[in-house]
Amino acid sequence: MKLLKLSLALNIIFFLAFGGVSFANVKPVKSLKKITKVKEADLLVTYYLQIKNALVSDNGKAAATAAKKMSATFKSFDVSAYSAEDKEEISEIIENALEQAEHIAENSGKIEHQREHFEVLSNDMADLLSITGTATTLYQTRCPMYNNGKGGIWLSETKEIRNPFYGSKMLTCGSVQKQF
Amino acid sequence: MFVILVAVFAGIQFIPVNLNRNSTVSREDLILYLHAPDRVAELLKTSCYDCHSNNTTYPWYNKIQPVGYLLEGHIEKAKKELNLNHFNSYSKRKQKSKLKSMISQIEKDEMPPTTYKLMHPNAVISERDKMILIQWLEKLKDSL
Repeated sequence: MKLLKLSLALNIIFFLAFGGVSFANVKPVKSLKKITKVKEADLLVTYYLQIKNALVSDNGKAAATAAKKMSATFKSFDVSAYSAEDKEEISEIIENALEQAEHIAENSGKIEHQREHFEVLSNDMADLLSITGTATTLYQTRCPMYNNGKGGIWLSETKEIRNPFYGSKMLTCGSVQKQF
Repeated sequence: MFVILVAVFAGIQFIPVNLNRNSTVSREDLILYLHAPDRVAELLKTSCYDCHSNNTTYPWYNKIQPVGYLLEGHIEKAKKELNLNHFNSYSKRKQKSKLKSMISQIEKDEMPPTTYKLMHPNAVISERDKMILIQWLEKLKDSL
């Protein structure tokens, strides 16, 4: 009963905070788990967007600071609530993404190097969020020039193009591919 | 003062260093498992494997301390970042990003590092060899 009350309270908070999500048909315990999951993924999204925006404004130092926080969040990411199959996939994604975040954190003076790792990190985040979901509306954007013309994607909170791979050099290169 | 320095220098010569040597052949090795052509294998072995594998061909000055410890530290860090002997134990996702980093580092002459090339002139990769190596790595990356 206590748990039910707690989860109902959390549901209400969640509803107030993010709005529009209906929990009418979701069992209380399940929704409790769901809340923690989404919260954790959203924390990653927050730091990811901080890195992205720092790279947009050519600020390697700010990117490194956010990447450090993101690394810590990856390390403590709890996969226990997921199915066995998802667990394996998520663990692989996180292992790889953590390395990218660590490289961004350690290379504040080498912004092009940070950007290379940011591209891999963006792919990992897109894959991770397609499993975990996110409460933030995100747009997957692609710049066809990056990576020697092979193209590269990133996630953004706005539809407006602000290119993190080139920053001020090519700020508006790219187009929105899909919405999360 | 000079006497103390000499004594310390002599003293540290006796502290043992762990050598990066291993006689077992890893089945997860990049060259063996992913069938690198001869020239590619040669390039990888000469220019990468000293630090990014479980076997180092040591220079003579490794026996002089503190050079030995410094090298030990470098190799440990390099292997943690990328161990080509265990490449095939990595997830496909990790293999891909490792290949991407390898290509970029070789392309930009960030790897092998300048200090290493200074002591190992044969590890310098010529422009032509760089192309051969990168082409193979790209092909491998695209096949994953």
